[in-house]
Amino acid sequence: MKKGELKLKNVGKKFKGFWAVKGVTAKFLPQRITGLIGPNGAGKTTLFHLITGELVPDEGDIIYQGESLKENPPWRVARKGIGRMFQDVRVFQGLSVLENIVLALQTPEEEIPFYGLLKKKEKKEEALRWIEFVGLENEIKRKAEDLSYGQQKLLALARIMAGNFDLLLLDEPIAGVSPVITKKILKLLREMVDKYKKTLVIIEHNMNVIMDITDWVYFLNEGRIYFSGRPDHVLGAEEVRRLYLGLVK
Amino acid sequence: MNYVIHLLIMINIYLVLAYSLNLVLGFGGLLSLCHAAFYGIGAYAYTLLAMHFDLPFMVALPLAMVITGLLAFFLGIPGLKFRGDPFVLVTLGFQVIIFSVLYNWVSLTKGPYGIPGIPRPEIFGFKIDSLYDFLGLTGSILILSVLFFLALYRSPFGLALKALREDERAAESLGKPSQLYLLWAFTLGGAVAAVSGALYATYVTYIDPTSFTLNESIFLVAILLVGGSGNFWGPTLGTIFLVLLPEALRFLGLPDTIAPNVRQMIYGTILIILMYWRPQGILGEFKIR
Repeated sequence: MKKGELKLKNVGKKFKGFWAVKGVTAKFLPQRITGLIGPNGAGKTTLFHLITGELVPDEGDIIYQGESLKENPPWRVARKGIGRMFQDVRVFQGLSVLENIVLALQTPEEEIPFYGLLKKKEKKEEALRWIEFVGLENEIKRKAEDLSYGQQKLLALARIMAGNFDLLLLDEPIAGVSPVITKKILKLLREMVDKYKKTLVIIEHNMNVIMDITDWVYFLNEGRIYFSGRPDHVLGAEEVRRLYLGLVK
Repeated sequence: MNYVIHLLIMINIYLVLAYSLNLVLGFGGLLSLCHAAFYGIGAYAYTLLAMHFDLPFMVALPLAMVITGLLAFFLGIPGLKFRGDPFVLVTLGFQVIIFSVLYNWVSLTKGPYGIPGIPRPEIFGFKIDSLYDFLGLTGSILILSVLFFLALYRSPFGLALKALREDERAAESLGKPSQLYLLWAFTLGGAVAAVSGALYATYVTYIDPTSFTLNESIFLVAILLVGGSGNFWGPTLGTIFLVLLPEALRFLGLPDTIAPNVRQMIYGTILIILMYWRPQGILGEFKIR
C-alpha cells in the first residue's frame, strides 16, 4: 500500500432520504493530482466531508493506506495523514501568519498543557521554511485577518504543507484570487507533488486548470461519478460538455 | 487604610478567579455559568478538609483543587459534547445543582447557617493572621497563577486552544481533538477557581451558599464581558472595575434599601452599552458569539 493512496468503495450519503452521494467508487493515485469536477450540488464537497470524517457514509467504505476511515472523527483522519484546504480558506484570523503555521507543526504530545513550552525556536525555524515556500516571509507577524484573500489562500497552502500530510484535499484553491496568485498557487501545487511527493485531490471549476495540472479527473453529477479518465478524455466527453460545460445542446 | 487593604485582598482573590474563567471563556470560547460553583466547591472542600481532618493550608489547598478539578472534569465529559446555548444550559444546571447541594446537605455544609470559624492558614510555621499577611498571601498566589496561565498560553497547548476558539472545524482538520483541549481547559479552570474559594474561606473565616450563587457566576462573566477576555489585561481591568464599582457607589450616599438594586441596574446598563459599543469588552480579544 503506497503512501497517500485513497480508495472509495461504493460510498453513499443521504440527507432526509435524498442521496447527495451515491455509489461512488474511486481510486486516487499516490503522488498524482486528481481533479473532481461537476456542477454545483454534484456532491464534490460532500465527498470531501465524508473522507475527512465530518460526515459518516451511510453505505460503502473509505480506505486510506489500507485502513478504513469510517467512524473516525476529523482530527483522527488528519492524524492519519489527510489534510484539507477549505473552500472558504479558514485560516485562523486572529493568529499571526507564524502562529498559523506553528500550529500545524504541533505533535500529538503537545496537547498536554505546558508540553513543548521550551521548543519554540525549533518550531519557528521550521515554520519559516513553509512561510518562505509560499512567499509570505515579509508577513510573518501580521494577523491572518490583515492579509488579502489571495495571501490567505497561500497561508492555507503553507499550513497544509506544514501539517506533514500525505494526501491533500483542496477545495477550489484558486477561486477568487488574482491571476498572479493563481499562477503562483498552480506552481506550488505542482511542486507539492513533484518535490514533496504529496497526493492531491482538487475540486476546481476552472477547466483550464484541470487540463493543465491534473493527471486524472472524476466527473460527478447528482452524487454519482459519470466519467473518469485523463483530463482531455473527460473534458472532451459529450455528456460532460452537455451536463457541465453547456457546450452541446 | 484597612479598608483599602481589604479591597486589595478581594481584588487579588477575584483576579485569580477571573483568570481561571478566562481560560474557559476567553481562550476556550466556552460561556460557562457555573464558575461560582467551582469557586464554592473549592471553598467548601478546603474548609471541610481543614476543619474536619485538621489538614494544614498547604495540604488542604491542593486537595481542594484536585476535588474541584475532578468535578469539572466529570462535568466536562458529557457537557463538552455541546457547544453554544446547550453548553450554557449544562453549566447553568450544574450551578443550580451545586447551590442546592450546598444549601440542603445540612449535615455536611450546615446549609443556610454556613460554616463559621474557618481557621487562618499557617504556612511553614508562619500564621497568616493580619490584613497585611493576607495581602501578601493572596498577592503571592496571584503572581503564581499569572505565571501559571502565562506559561500555559505561551505553550503549544495555549496556541491550539486559541485556534479552536477561532475555528474549531479548521483546528480539527489539523489534528486537534477539540474535546480533549476544552476538557483540559475546563478542568484546569475549575481547579484554579478552587484556589480563590479556599482563599476566600480562610480570609473571611465564614462561608455559606449565598456567596456561590448563579448571580456570582453571572458577576464573573460580567467581569470578562466588561474588561474583555482572551488576554491578561481584560480580566484585570474588569475585576478592578467591577470589584471597586460598588465601593465607589457607596459615596453616592444612596439609602441602604435601594443601593443594591441601583448597583444591579448600573451593571446591567454598562453591559448593554458595552455589547453595542465593544462586544469583546474594553481590552478583550474574544467576542462571545
